[in-house]
This record gives sequence, structure tokens and C-alpha cells, in this order.
Amino acid sequence: MRRIYIIGAMAVLFAGCKPSVNITKAPIAGSADFSNYLAIGNSLTAGYTDGSLTVSGQLNSYPERLFEQFSLIQGSRGAKGPFLQPLLNSDNGYPGPKFILGITHSACIPGDSSLSPIPFPNYVQDPTDATYTGTTNNFQLNNIGVPGIKVADYRVAGYALITQAAGVPYAARFYHDPTTTPLDELKYRVNNLYPTFFTLWLGANDVLAYATAGGQGDGTGNATPVLPPYFYGPNDITPLAVFDTCYDLALNAAIATGASGALINIPDVTSVPFFTTVPANGLTLTRQGQADTLQAYWGAATWNKVFQVGANYFIIEDNKGNPRQAVPGELILLTVPQDSLTCAGWGTTKPIPAKYVLTTDELQFIRNMTANYNAYIKFEAQLHHLAYVDINAYLGTLSSGIVFNGVNYTSQFVTGGAFSLDGIHPTQRGYALIANQIITTINSFYGSTIPSIDANKYHGVNFPNGN
Amino acid sequence: MKKNLLAAALLLSATTSFGGGYQLNLQGLRQLAMGGTGVAWPWDASTIFYNPGGLARLKGIQVYADVVPVIPNTAYGTNMYSAQSKPQVFTPFSFYIGGPIQEGSRLAIGLGVYTPAGLGITWPDNWAGSNIVQAVQFSAIFVQPTVSYRVSDFLSVGGGFVYGTGTLDYSSTLPVETYVGNNDTLGKAKLHGTATGVGFNLGVHLKVNDNLQVGLTYRSQVNMGISSGDATFTVPTSVAANFPHTQFDSQLPLPQVASIGVGYRTGDLTLLFDLNYTGWNSFDSLRINFAQHTPAVQDLHEPRHYRNTLTPRLGANYKLSKTVALMAGACYDPTPVTNGFVSPDLPDADRIVGSCGISVKPLPRFTVMAAFEGTSSLKRSSSYDYANFAGTYQTQVVAIGLGFYYNL
Repeated sequence: MRRIYIIGAMAVLFAGCKPSVNITKAPIAGSADFSNYLAIGNSLTAGYTDGSLTVSGQLNSYPERLFEQFSLIQGSRGAKGPFLQPLLNSDNGYPGPKFILGITHSACIPGDSSLSPIPFPNYVQDPTDATYTGTTNNFQLNNIGVPGIKVADYRVAGYALITQAAGVPYAARFYHDPTTTPLDELKYRVNNLYPTFFTLWLGANDVLAYATAGGQGDGTGNATPVLPPYFYGPNDITPLAVFDTCYDLALNAAIATGASGALINIPDVTSVPFFTTVPANGLTLTRQGQADTLQAYWGAATWNKVFQVGANYFIIEDNKGNPRQAVPGELILLTVPQDSLTCAGWGTTKPIPAKYVLTTDELQFIRNMTANYNAYIKFEAQLHHLAYVDINAYLGTLSSGIVFNGVNYTSQFVTGGAFSLDGIHPTQRGYALIANQIITTINSFYGSTIPSIDANKYHGVNFPNGN
Repeated sequence: MKKNLLAAALLLSATTSFGGGYQLNLQGLRQLAMGGTGVAWPWDASTIFYNPGGLARLKGIQVYADVVPVIPNTAYGTNMYSAQSKPQVFTPFSFYIGGPIQEGSRLAIGLGVYTPAGLGITWPDNWAGSNIVQAVQFSAIFVQPTVSYRVSDFLSVGGGFVYGTGTLDYSSTLPVETYVGNNDTLGKAKLHGTATGVGFNLGVHLKVNDNLQVGLTYRSQVNMGISSGDATFTVPTSVAANFPHTQFDSQLPLPQVASIGVGYRTGDLTLLFDLNYTGWNSFDSLRINFAQHTPAVQDLHEPRHYRNTLTPRLGANYKLSKTVALMAGACYDPTPVTNGFVSPDLPDADRIVGSCGISVKPLPRFTVMAAFEGTSSLKRSSSYDYANFAGTYQTQVVAIGLGFYYNL
């Protein structure tokens, strides 16, 4: 019977011996020092999502995610907390309501409704959200992202006051001196924080504002200041020379303490759901009679037109105010009133107003200038030996889908998981994916081994329960 | 009516999955204790599975039954994260009755009921791979009526028809969520289906002399087809219309296996050597076809690309006395799963198996057996590229079998 004992003992031994896979290789910093991290940028850096800024958005910004990963590095070159952001108090949205998903009803088709983004109902601004946060923590901030800011704004004195007057009080919430320039603010924060590492993601607004305004601004790249010497019209595309000068100024301020860092380039703003959700050929005709009616209606017009049963390009107003039929590649903005399309004849007998349309010319301006800006950012990265994060290429792959731990993220509006309800800014998950891409670039550039983030752990779009 | 639901994309991430090197090799206790060998040596009625050609070599009709509780444990890790599968016990069993229809007869008949597959894995709730698999279990039971004929003292042949039934249960999370503050609810997908399939099991037993025996077997592939399984989705009500309760069809192949075995006896010691060639490459992809489609619920087609494997097995049986025998064995079981296709539903890797056991014959016609098998996979760092999910896996399995046979 002794042998049975042996078998029994072995069984107990094996049953108690569970495998474990603990890879306890501590991440290393490589040649960079992540102990003191400063994030410079715009709304993407601030954590803007669902069309507004909320404290949840800030706490799930990509700089917050990066900081968490940087702090996994042990020793003196790992990030030390806390990560200081000019935090809001509420999740209502500031200064206006965030979007949530809700049911909207058609104005002309009884019983027709859809699940779509609506402003947070019964919105009230939390008064504490407006609290000035610039002086807390000994005037130190790790994230100085300002929603809406352009590279061109960096020389504008009183930027915080000008934007506040325009109803965009983000800079005014924490700038140490509202009469100063963003560049001076940056210098001030750098002096106080003395960062060892920074990320700089600026420039998207220098083209995006033009795009979201449907090309209603100067897109030629020859715009002149509306408020001389340095303040350009919000919807103008920043001239390349101005962009280069201001970007260089900001970058030199960022590296004044000898910090290493990463420059993140500008995504193709026109590939986000804000521009790709409403199809330019969304005019669906079901009967030949409809096509004939439209043909007759526009019969006198000299431009090319095709009306047939099936999908047709909308009638739009071009950037000179003339009606014509949209052509392949042109984009309709998400903000176009759906009821006007379905109930008021927009896109058929009434051209869709130019401010809701990006025409071929306008798109060309946007894409050319994005490429020019990115070329300069890349040049600066090489010149200053900084990591260059090609987030443009990465986000470009979203249109075909990025699979992460079994979840397929796409640039589809609402359902794609990566973009929030404003169609431009990422969800928490989208920001985590972006942080992962930044980490990948940092690791290969600095030889660090910062682990990636489980993006699926964070929130995507919130689908409501109940009716 | 929420007609124009903007949700018009593939919400089901197209990565639901299950399957894997799901075959069990626990159909007889003495064979289990001897490293899974048994093609060349018809020890008892369990030869109905191991080599139907050996059934006519038995002395008479025998009843055999065993149960083998199996406890698998799998660990997953990256340099950021680790997870362990939840503890689970599976209980495959075998039952055989058969032998020569009367003493000295050349013709033998028998029936086997056994468990060719029956494992699964349950990961912690909402673990990092939960969108790929939260839990999966595939179990099958084969019923095999068998006929064997002793052509001569040298040659004996046999064959059986296999009818298989089984069940599949699978669950995962879905990337649709609803949350209020920190109270977050992820969507869930559940598949449940019953499978059936048919096949056969053929064997040839060659008795060169009492001390040298050879076996050749071929078990056909059994395609376990699932039709009209239940697919249930639990999602926020605002998208429920996109996730209807529907049916699905699928198919899981249990692979064909060709085996050769040699047995050699010297005195009280019997040594067996088997080679199994397993046709895993039939598991090229996993398809799930839903009866009802929506933009969010689309048919799935996952690449698996399993490869055929060659498994060597060694076993020894030592007759300690007239009533007691000891067994031991080992095997090296290479994985059918190639790099890039290592999915957490069955994160297979090359396995090393060691086993031992004892048989005791307390009464002239009655034998009881106990067997133990320990399996450990080599640590494997790989990925499931289809779901972009990578990590390091290790699996350990403990099986403890108890059973008896009785000569009628």
C-alpha cells in the first residue's frame, strides 16, 4: 500500500502546484528620464471628449495614461506623482454640456427616431468648474493642454482673455497671467516644474477649425491676422511660416530644461467621424419620378448632374455660394441638421449650405497644410533628437480597424469605439490606444521598455439602458 | 421604433472563439498510467477505443468502467498583467463491455461509451482577454459499437462505428457598455449548442508471439456539427435591436488519428511504444454562422491553421505479483497550435506528460485500477494575431483515474 501513498502524495503535489506566469521584468527608462513629465497641447491633451471637458475626461487623458505607465519605472527616472492637471469638479461638461446618447425624433416622419448624440439634458454648469486652478500645488502643472489652442496662438498676448471673451475659458482657468502669451505661460510652467520629459501635440487646430467650419475661412495659407500682429481668424488655416515660427518657439521653451520628449504629429482631421459619417451621396431616390423631378428642377443649371434611382450625391453650395452637385470625395459635416435633410429639402432642391460641406478645394487646402505642418514637426524632431510620433499614420489605420485584445476599433461614429460622441475627440479607450502608440515610439527611440496599456479597461461610448 | 439606430458597425468584434487542442487521451486507466500507450496490447475491454482489433484477443466478455477527474490550470501573463484560469474539475468517464461472444470464439463484439473531449477554461470575470473568451467548454461523448475478428493467432482485426454527441458552451464580453459613474456593465455574448457527428475506429492487432505484439489503428475524423445552437446577447437596451436572440451553426472537428504501437514483454515487464499521428490540420478555421444577421451580428470566420502532430508515447507495466501490477509512462505531446494562432480559449503548447498507476486484482475476475497523470506545458510566449492578443501561457493538468473491470 506504500505505493498508493506515493501516488496520493504526487497527486497532492501536482494539484497544489498551479502554474503562474509572472513576468516581473521591471520596465526601464532607457536613455530618457521620465521623473517629471509635462504634457503640452490642445483639447486632445486636455482630455476633451464628447464635445466638452469633464473631470472624467481629464483623468482619462492620454497624458494621465502616459504618466501612469511612466511611474511603473522604478528608481529615479520613473515618474513621481501626483500628476497635476487643472481639474474640473464635475462631469457635466465645461463650459457647455457634454454629449450623451439619446433618442431624437424626426420632425417630419411620425414615429421615426434614432439613437444619436444629444446635449446632456437639463445642463447646468457646475459653478466650481470655473474655479481658477493655476496657483495650486506651488504653481506646478503637469498637463497644460488648452482646448482650442493653435500653434499660431503662441505669440498672442492676452490669449486667455480673448478666448474667455469668446466663451472658451479654458486658458483663463489656469494661466498664471491672463494678459500674457501662451508661450510665456509655457515658459512659466517649465520654470516651475522643471520637466525632464515632455510630449508636445500641437497643430491640429491650425487646420481643424477651418475644417469644422466647413471651410468658411481663409484656407489658402495666406491668411492675415484679424487682430494684428499675431491673432489669426479662428477659422483660418495658419500660414506655414507662422506655424513654423510659433512651433519652434514653443518647442524651444519646452526643451529649455534639457528635457527629452516626443513630438506628436497632426492627424488627418478629415478622417474622423465628424466628416465621414454623413455620406456625400446620401441622397437616396426610390422612384424614377423623383429623379425626373430633380432633373427638371435643376435642368437649367450648367453643372454636371446625375439623378437616378439609388444613391445620389447631394446638392451643395460651393465655397463661392453657388449650387452644384457634390462630387466623390467631398464631405458633409456631422453637424448638418438631419431634419433639414429629411424634411426641408436640403441637398435636393435646397443646396446644403457651404458651412456644412468640405469641397474638393477645401480638402486639398487641409491635406496640403497638414502634410506641410507634419513635415516641419518631423524636421524639428530630428533637429532636436526627439521622438516623432506619427499618430497620423496610426489613426489612418483606424478606418480599416485596429484590433486590440479582441476588440475591433474603427473610425465609425458611435459604434467604432475609438471616437467619442463629438466625432472628433477620442473616447477614453481611444486615448489609451493613442497613449500606447506614443509609448511604442518612445520605447523604440529611447530604448525604454514601458509597458502598454490595456485600453479595453477604460470606457468607450456609453449606450443607455431604458428607453 | 428606433429605426435609424446609428449603431451600424460590427459590434461583435468578430473574435469570438473556442476550440483548441481539445482532444482527451484518457480512455483507459492502464493506458493512461502507461503514458497513453495501448495500441499494441489489448489489456482489457478499453481496447475497444485503443485498438478495436484487440477485442477478439480477450478471454471473454468483460465490463469496464472508469472515471478520471481532470483538473487543468492555465496561467497567462504579460509584463503588465497576469491571470489564472478559475479552478474547475472535469470528469470524463469510460464504459466498455465486450469480448469474444463465447470462450474460444473468433468473433468478438462490444460497445464503448467514452469521452474523447471534455475540457474547458474559465477566465476571471472581465479579464484582459474577455472580449475573446470569458469561458468555454466543449465536451463530447462517443458511443462505439464494435466488432472484432481473430483471423488467426497472428492477425486480429476490428472496427467500430462512432456516434458522437456533445455540447459547446462559450461566453465572452462585448465592447458595448453602459455605465453610471463607476457602475459599468459590459455586454455579454453566450453561445450554447449541441453537436453530433459520426465516424469510425479501425484496428489491426498482430501477435508475432506472446511477447511481441504490434497494433495499427485509424480513428476517423468526427465532425461535430452544431445546428441551431442558441446565441444570446446581453446588451444595453438602446442597442438591443442590433443584438437579437438568434441561432447559430458551427462545426468542430475531432481529428483523425493514425497510430502504430509495439509491445514487448520480458518476464514480468511489458514495455509499450506508440506513435500517434493526429490530423489536426482539419481545424483550419472556426466558423460561426448566425441565423439572423444585423450590422452588429455577423458570421464569424476565425483562422486556426492547426498543424498535424506526431506524438511518441512510452509505457511500462510491471507485474509485481499475481494480483498487483504497477504502471508508469511518459509522452511528449507537441502542440497543433502554431505561433500567431495561440488563442486564450485553449492556449496550447508542447506538453510533457508523466504518469503512473497500479492495478490490484482482489478477486479472480475483478480488477481495480488507479492512475495518475501529470501534464505540464512548456511556457509559451505567443499571440493570437487575429485578435491582436499576446502573452505567455502555461498549463498544468492533473488527472486521477479510478476504475475496474470484471470478467463475466
